[in-house]
This record gives sequence, C-alpha cells and structure tokens, in this order.
Amino acid sequence: MNRPFFHPPRIHRDLLILPTDEYYRRRYRKSRGGSWLLLIVTAVAVLVAAVGARAQSGESVDTAAFESVSINESGSGDLLFQGSEPGRYIPAIHLGTEVAIRVRGLVAEVVLEQQFRNTSNDWQEAVYVLPLPENAAVNGMEIVIGERRIVGKVREREEARRVYKKAREEGKRAALLEQQRPNLFTSRVANIAPGEQVSVEVRYLQTLRFDRGQFSLRLPSTLTPRYMPGTPAASSQTVALNAHGWSIPTSEVPDADQISPVMMQQAELTGREGSHQMDIRIDLGMGLPLADIHSPYHEVSFRRGEDHRYQVGLKNGAVPMDRDFALFWRPQVASMPSAALFAEQSTIPAEPDAQYLQLLLLPPQENLAARKLPREVVYVVDTSGSMGGNSIRQAKESLLLALSRLSQMDRFNIIEFNSSHRSFFPRPAVATADNIQRARSWVESLRANGGTEMAPALKEALSQQLDHRVGELVRQVVFITDGAVGNERALFEIIRQRLGETRLFTVGIGSAPNSFFMAKAAQYGRGSFVQIGDLSEVQGRMGALFEKLESPLVTDLQIQWPQGMKVESYPKRLPDLYRGEPVRLVARVENGALGGAASGEVVISGRLAGKRFSRSLSLSQLSVDDSGKGVGSLWAREKIAALRDEQRERGPLSDPEAADPLSEQILGLALGYQLASPYTSFVAVEETPVRPSSEPLKSSPVPNAVARGQVMQSFTYPSTATGVYGQALLASVLLVLGGLLRLVRQRPLSAGQLAGCRPWWRKGRTRVERALRRWLRAVTPDLRRRAGDGPGGVSR
Amino acid sequence: MRLASVTPWLSALCIAIGLWQLGGSAWLLAKAELAQYLISTSWERQLASGEAQKPWPWADTWPVAQLKLAEEKPLTVLHGTSGQALAFGPGLLTGSGEPGDLDEPRTTVIAAHNDTHFRNLGALEPGAVIRLQDRHGRWHTYRVRGAKVVNSETDRLPVAPVPGLLLVTCYPFDTLNAGSPLRYLVYADSVDPVATLQL
Repeated sequence: MNRPFFHPPRIHRDLLILPTDEYYRRRYRKSRGGSWLLLIVTAVAVLVAAVGARAQSGESVDTAAFESVSINESGSGDLLFQGSEPGRYIPAIHLGTEVAIRVRGLVAEVVLEQQFRNTSNDWQEAVYVLPLPENAAVNGMEIVIGERRIVGKVREREEARRVYKKAREEGKRAALLEQQRPNLFTSRVANIAPGEQVSVEVRYLQTLRFDRGQFSLRLPSTLTPRYMPGTPAASSQTVALNAHGWSIPTSEVPDADQISPVMMQQAELTGREGSHQMDIRIDLGMGLPLADIHSPYHEVSFRRGEDHRYQVGLKNGAVPMDRDFALFWRPQVASMPSAALFAEQSTIPAEPDAQYLQLLLLPPQENLAARKLPREVVYVVDTSGSMGGNSIRQAKESLLLALSRLSQMDRFNIIEFNSSHRSFFPRPAVATADNIQRARSWVESLRANGGTEMAPALKEALSQQLDHRVGELVRQVVFITDGAVGNERALFEIIRQRLGETRLFTVGIGSAPNSFFMAKAAQYGRGSFVQIGDLSEVQGRMGALFEKLESPLVTDLQIQWPQGMKVESYPKRLPDLYRGEPVRLVARVENGALGGAASGEVVISGRLAGKRFSRSLSLSQLSVDDSGKGVGSLWAREKIAALRDEQRERGPLSDPEAADPLSEQILGLALGYQLASPYTSFVAVEETPVRPSSEPLKSSPVPNAVARGQVMQSFTYPSTATGVYGQALLASVLLVLGGLLRLVRQRPLSAGQLAGCRPWWRKGRTRVERALRRWLRAVTPDLRRRAGDGPGGVSR
Repeated sequence: MRLASVTPWLSALCIAIGLWQLGGSAWLLAKAELAQYLISTSWERQLASGEAQKPWPWADTWPVAQLKLAEEKPLTVLHGTSGQALAFGPGLLTGSGEPGDLDEPRTTVIAAHNDTHFRNLGALEPGAVIRLQDRHGRWHTYRVRGAKVVNSETDRLPVAPVPGLLLVTCYPFDTLNAGSPLRYLVYADSVDPVATLQL
C-alpha cells in the first residue's frame, strides 16, 4: 500500500481551525462521518478480498487444466523440462564450509570440510559441484557424522560409481568425489536423513605460487557458469548418475551436465539460514619471518606465534562463498631465500627407497636495461554474457591500461569475441596516437552479451601476425577472459598447434575465474598469467604483467643432476621464465640417494639477456623428511598432469576399444599414490543401512553462489508483470475514498442551506447504500441458514 | 482526534495519490501500446537498412524480431529482458537463441508482461501457429506444443540447443500483485521450412 496514506502530513498549528460554536455540531457530524468511513473501508476490504479469492481459485483451476495439456510426448521437449519439479530442490540442503590450511615448506595442506544439512522432510542425496584449485592433489575424503568417520578409498572411476550407486540404493550413507576437470569436482552424499547433517571432508595438497618475491595461495569457492559450445549430443554414459546441470551434453563438451550446477544469488542463499558461508583458518609456517600478509578480497587478521608461525583467520568470521579467497605474503627482505629445497622419504610400502624432492630457485634478478624490441601485440577480449557486470569493467580498464603502454614502435590490434568475433583492424596496425585514440573509444563501447565462442577468436589472434617479420618483432597475444568455457581441451590444442613464435598471456577476470584455463593456456602459450578479481587490482596486476611483457626472459634453462643419480623430474622441459618467476620442479629420486655424503650437487643453468648463469645446490646436506607424503603426492600429481598433456597432444586413439597406455599409466599412479584423477574417484560407504527401504530417496543439487559482481546470466526468468491492475485498483479505491470524504465534509453545509428538500445526491446515496447492503448480504455466507440446513439435510 | 480538520486534507491527499496512481497505470498501458508503433517503424527501417535502428535516440534497446501470435496483430520484439525493454515490448532474452540461426541453434526465449503484450498468452492452444521474423526479414514458423506453469525461484529456464521458441510471462494472469514467482511458459516447436515446402 501507499505509505503517505498512513502518514498524513503534519498540519501546522496556525493552520488548524480552533474550536468555535460550530465545534460540537461538527463533532456530532463527524461521528456519523466516521461510521460512514468505517462502512466504506469495510466494503473496500471485502471487495479486495473477493477479488483476491477469485484470483486464487482461478489459479488452482488453471493449474489443473495445465496438467491435461502438459508436454508429455517424448522428444527434445522432455529434455527441455528435465528435472523441473517446482519447489522441490532448492531449499533441501544447507551448506556450510570450514577450511583449515597448513602451509609447510612450499606446500599447502588443505582440509576442506563441507557440512550438508538436510532441511527437508525427505531423505536426500546432495549433489554439489566443488571447485578446487587447478593444481590440487586430492588425496583424501572422509564422511563425518558426529564423532564417526568413514574413510573414503580411491577406486577406478566406474567401479567407484557402482559402489556408490549400490550403497545409495541399499540405504547406506555414502559419498563420492569425482574429478570432472582438474579444478572442478562433483561431490555426492547419499542418504541424509531429514534434519540430519552429514559432513564430507576433502583433503588436498597445493603448491604455493611464487611470483615477484611474493607467495600466494588461492582457494576458489564458486565458479562462473561455463559456456558449452558444440551441438547437442546423445547421452552415452555407461552408468547414468543423475546430473542436475542445466546444460545438455554437446559434441564439444560431453560432460556439460556434470559441470553446470544450479546457480543462485548469494543473498538468497544467505537468506536461507545463512547457507553457503565458509570459514578459513591458515597456519603459515614456512620457517621464515614474513611481512605483508594480506588478502585482496577478504579481511584477514593474523597472530604471530613461535618459530615464525603465523595464524591467519578471517577478521569477521565466516564469509559468503561467492568469490575466490586469496592470500599473499612475502618473506622479509633480509631473509628472502634465493633457493629452497625440500626432500621427503617415500611412505609407499612397495617402494621404500624412493625419495622426492621439491625445488624452487630464483634466477638472477639484475635490473637489466635491455634493448627494447618493438612488439606486436594482439589483445583478445572476452565480451560474452558471463563477463557481464564487474568483469567487463575490469576487462575494459585492463585493456585501456594496456593501450596506454604501447609506444610508437609497437603494432597492435584488438579482437573482441562472444558468439562471434570482431577485430578492430584487419591486421595489427602501428600504435600511433590516433589509432590508439580510436581503439580506446571502441573499447569503451564494448558490451558483454552472448556466448563464448573462444576457438575462432583464438585462431584469428594467432594467425594475424605475418610470417615475414619474424625476428624483427616480439609477438604477443594478451587474452583477457574469465575462461568460462567447457571445451578447454580443444582450445589448448589450438594454442599448441598455432602458436609459432607468438607468446600467449592470459588475464583472468572476475570473482571466480577458471584458473585451470588461465594457467594451462599460458603454459601452452609459453607465456604467463595474472588474475584480476577487483577493479582496484587492475593497475597493480596489469603493471606486473607489463613488466613481464617488456623484460627479458630467462631462456635455455637446463638442469644437471649428479652423475649416476636416477631422477624423474617434472616439468620435463623447464619453461622460459618471465621476470620475477622462479624455477620450480618436483622430482623422484631412486635408491635413497638424497641426504647422504655422496649425494653431490644439482646444477641449474640458463641464459638471461644474452648472459649465461648457473647455480648449484648441494644435495648432501638435505634433511630428508620421512613422515609426510606431501612432496610424493605432488610429484604424482605433476606426473599425471604431464601424462594428460601428452594424451591431449596425441589426440584420441584411432581404435576406441584398445586400452590406452597413457590412461593405464595415470590410473596406476593415481591408485598407487591414492589421488583423485580423471580415472579415479574417492568413494566412502558406511557398513549398515540407515534409510528404511519404505522411505524414498530424493536427489537435490546444492547450488553454487553466483560470483560476486557478476550479472546472473544463464537463463533466469525475467520479471514479467507490471502490477498495472493492482495499481489501477489502488487508484480507484483512493479516488472513491477521497471523493466520499469530500462528500462527508460538504453534506451538512448543503443540508443546512437546502433544508426540507432532499438533495439529489442524498437520494443517490441511499440507493447506493441499499445496493451495497444487498450485495454484501448476497456475498457474505449466512451461518444460520447453513446450520439449519446441514444436520436435517432438508433442502428447499 | 479532530477528524474534521484533517478530512479535507485527507480527501485531497487520497484524490491526489489516486490520480497519480491512475496516471501511472494509464501511462504504463499507453507506453506499452504506443511504443509498439515507434518500434515497428524502426523495425521496418532496420529491415530495409540492415543496421540496428533505435526506436528513439535515447533508447537502450533495439528491435530484434517480429512476433505474430496466432491471429493477433504482430508485436515487435526488443533486445533484452530488462524492465526498461519489457515496458515497451516483448524482449528476447540475451543469451538465448537467435531465430533462424542454424549454425548455433538454441531455444529462442521471448518474455513480456502478462498485463500488456502477453495478455492473451493463456489463450494459445496446442497446435496454434506462431510466426517470428528474424533480422534478415525471414519468417520462421513455430507450432505450440504445450504450456506449463513453473516456479521461477526453483526452476531453470529450459534452454536447449535446438531451434524452438519459448514464450514466458508471469502467472497467474489478471492478478493484483506483481511479484508472483510463478511463470507461464509456452513452448513451440520449430516447423522445419523444408517440411512446409513439401506440404
């Protein structure tokens, strides 16, 4: 209703009519006027209620009519309306997350506990798409019910599914964790009783990122809905597990339904008893005095403990799960290490002699005034729908900053893409002030909308540069995107095949970018990547990227192990390094050769701006840790990633029936080291059934929060009512009320003047009054009559 | 309380607010009707020129298609389903399919208000013919398969990579409040133009 109606304007004292002779007469009149008012208000209320009741009854009747015309033919229509049983799933599961991170050496050990609470009255299966860091080595999963823990085991993917399905059918509590992408997992928990809470604890290891003297750690909490290119494909899954995704598998992305969760606004989720909140505790114990511990997106507080250990926590408790959590810290300048080596004894019984080594080394950081080569840069900017909101602003800002860095010698071009792509110049053009000005205004006019057809844009960007100018120009492609695509594989293949002499840099935009795409595309593109999660970060992060783009590279990196030592290290070929990046590798050493007097030295050499350098590190004084299985798991994870790359480069086998040696190898590794992988999943099953077979089980997706600052795209219903009828009704009620009030006020005056003769409007009013009474009598049910009718059953 | 002194104010206030509300609702309806004329003119111009034409210089949307529901007079569909666009005409949901785009087929989703342009959506019977003109001037024919009421708070819009047409409006019709979470969906299959030729 309208607010002013309840708050009549305050009338100034001077304007008030003070009591006069008329006072009592008016007062008498007023009381009658009041009764009139009462009648009118009652009549209006009855009218509104009657209209409302009509609308209500109309609704139920119409719904019944729908059932008869509902779409029940088979065909794509069924697919369309798949899984849309109104009001069924969203409120069913409440999600809470607690994360405990322990940083030791160059590794973060993360324990992620997710509590699924069933808020419905049915037994539930919760299905949740779990985003994890792209380099996570998942090595444990447990179900926690109160004090009890059920430890999950690694099994072959299909077998794990079968075990889980069987347990689900039998009414046993069970959990399944499957890898869909290196940074995207599906977590399922079956048989949660009404009102019960079941927690799933996922453990993983993650290597810290080190760049420009700064360590960092990233923990995603949601994802940006992926765009699924390609045409719809028939489902060919051997064991069909219910997927709740809204995307339909396509030729390019056969698992689209598995990686497209239900998205909901964080505000809505928080409204449901504070669902989707995460609490984070970090124990930073690198053994170094640290400085400048900060998180760019969340407020954190830290406490210094013994032995250079720092306890970091969220300042205001749990935070919404709508953006990545990131933590940055740097060692104090005086204690900045130039190299770090960690060794570990194998804990796998089958190979007790193996040792693992993790190495981080900073190449010389001289400030070299290098000869600046002219550059040819193609900027590719993603203007798809998923970039809507803050992301497109960040992207534009980054692009404008990049344009301002170009010099007269450079050449540049800009390509924007969504469902199709547009290039600003047909070929890269000289960066004259005029060209840059034109490009700036073009960039300003970009808008986010449509699909994410990345492949053609990428091809265009990599084919724009002319071959005959090799050597004269440094070629770079800067790719600004949120990476919200489901066909990462195909894109990596394009980069690998068409890269040539070009270097590809990725700029990840938004609160929850696809880090896997960013990192891997940069790896294949022999470039580097930065992530921007906030408009305020654009300046700093892009600055860092420009420094990399413009500074000389460390090239020809070689590693030389001591004579006779059997070593298997990853990455196989050390990549070129940009300014501020360290050499890093994990290695497996046979026969317990580390830490002994005869271990010798490892020598790393390379070339920086034409000058050779080499560094040697002694392996004999290493202390080999024999308790953890951190470095070992990381090594296996790196090897799996390398094998996956090899598999991707080889392409699918010509004979689909034949056993793939690479996948066999990955499977063996993952089972041996107890890791989740594309071919292995974690499954945990409780021994005894809990759900009586008479109770049905419902499956509910747990939504992911829409990333902060993002426009909720992906097909939500627009609001499609103006409320024009309600407004018109309110208007007429108010007009009638105002008119009647006016009449009430004027009546005595006219009555006094025209005494004796009944004014016309009075007759009219009596008539209206009578009609109203008659109508009210007809509308309101007569209780007496009904009471008399009922028991006797007498009908008239 | 001295009701006497307040009554004239109250009645004036009631009448003022009443007129304001009446004007507001009349304006909404008038806008919806009148804008269609301007928009259909700009649609004609757009078809002729091939360039996007804004119906009025400060508009933040532009026509993208023309929709003809059964026997009703054609409606010009605007880009986007924001409140501003829907006030003037049915809106084509961004990210949903372009009509007649065979390279990247996808369900076309068109939404409109249930008290203005899609007032009579409930009267569409299964089998009714809907015609849609794309930006190249080609007409596409769809046949209504059925209708369904969904809850917009819990359901996703069913967009599939097949050419089809989904009309969305608020449900129930003729209701007083605007915030209903229910939506009325009408799904229409694309009638293959080749098949029509063979008939």
